[in-house]
Amino acid sequence: MNWWEQFQADFYLNFVKDDRWLYLTRGLKVTLVVTVCSALMGIILGFLVAIVRSTCENTGRLKILNAVCKLYLTIIRGTPVVVQLLIIYFIIFGSVRVDKTLTAIIAFGINSGAYQAEIFRSGIQSIPRGQFEAGRSLGFTYGQTMLHIIMPQAFRVCVPTLCNEFITLLKETSVAGYIALEDLTKGGDIIRSRTYSAFMPLIAVALIYLIMVMILTRLVSLLERRLARGTR
Amino acid sequence: MAQDNMAVSAPGEALIRVEHLEKHFDGQIVLKDLSTEIHKGDVVCVIGPSGSGKSTFLRCLNRLEEPTGGHIYMDGIDICDPHTNIDHHRQKMGMVFQQFNLFPQMTIMKNLTLAPMKLQKRSKEEAEAYAEELLKRVGLADRRDSYPGELSGGQQQRIAIVRALCMRPEVMLFDEPTSALDPEMVGEVLNVMKDLAAEKMTMVVVTHEMGFAREVASRVMFLEGGEFIEDGEPTEFFAHPKSERLKSFLGKVL
Repeated sequence: MNWWEQFQADFYLNFVKDDRWLYLTRGLKVTLVVTVCSALMGIILGFLVAIVRSTCENTGRLKILNAVCKLYLTIIRGTPVVVQLLIIYFIIFGSVRVDKTLTAIIAFGINSGAYQAEIFRSGIQSIPRGQFEAGRSLGFTYGQTMLHIIMPQAFRVCVPTLCNEFITLLKETSVAGYIALEDLTKGGDIIRSRTYSAFMPLIAVALIYLIMVMILTRLVSLLERRLARGTR
Repeated sequence: MAQDNMAVSAPGEALIRVEHLEKHFDGQIVLKDLSTEIHKGDVVCVIGPSGSGKSTFLRCLNRLEEPTGGHIYMDGIDICDPHTNIDHHRQKMGMVFQQFNLFPQMTIMKNLTLAPMKLQKRSKEEAEAYAEELLKRVGLADRRDSYPGELSGGQQQRIAIVRALCMRPEVMLFDEPTSALDPEMVGEVLNVMKDLAAEKMTMVVVTHEMGFAREVASRVMFLEGGEFIEDGEPTEFFAHPKSERLKSFLGKVL
């Protein structure tokens, strides 16, 4: 057999026979659902934590909440995401059977929230103090100044970094197989275990991630250019 | 400029009364036991060497800087009292900063109408009409749809003055309004301030522009080391300084 015939035979074995390609498409769907949902959860969580942290830094209020947030950031950023996933699956949801996809969303959402919180916070802190003072001097309260003046500017600053966090998150969800969730990576691995041929399924999985990341990166740079327009 | 709010205090009556104002930063004393009165229609210029506490004094007047001790009364209400709603009082005290601090993501019109609409519940039409009128007076009516970044420093500072005026304040606080400007733009900003003074707006101006102080001020205060060294009517103040410190300061800047 020459290499071309070998390739065709491998391709047939790994993807066509027994409809094995379905492992990849189903897995991809799970990966996308987990990524999008945990990203959204992370945005909400990260935003709230960032508000508490900056309010405490700027005004000295919310000290207890701030301590709780700091603890959250330390624990989440100080331990591997796989360990967090396993703890949530086997310990926190140990006795109640929760859907694996939901478990993964919660685990990755909590994890991403910690990183997003710091992105939002540094965005808020990057706005010159004069903007804040200008708002307060007109008679806006702390909250109104944040809402109408600081946040819209901070958001612009955050967007590129935030999108990069989503790209990282997409790749990080590949460890979801640890709780036997059949995401894209797990799908490829299942094919490998059936066919005893590693090359085809794993390279296919890698290519799919790569294409998704390249598309997202392209979107981010377009967005960056758009945001850069019209300012200063 | 048009002052359509009814005067709360009669001319000559103290609008702002400062009593024993103290400010410390980490144990360092910046303002020492300052007391003074600012009357309605006064144009008070505060001068002094850098680090003398003049900006801190001004920023204490609307509590952007929290005083360590003492009292500041506006219209008879102690604004240093924690129970006083400072946000409400700030609406009556316009402030202009050295760095303009316009909101970069908003058009000029949005910069001018945001606070009147959100805080004074004015309609968009009313807020815009008033803003237009003021823009015309400072000669920038054609820039209503520009963004701050598209304007020169002098134009931005004139807009910043208009932004404060749009709230129809009783007093205007200026924190070195021309210090960040290129020399050729200083004049256009000072002219707007002169017009304002001519219309009997109460103003407190921290400045290095001695010419402006001499020509426009009704009163000049010299602050050094956190204390009022001298305080008087400008002709006398500049022609016959009493204290050695003021003499030496004027010798350096004039």
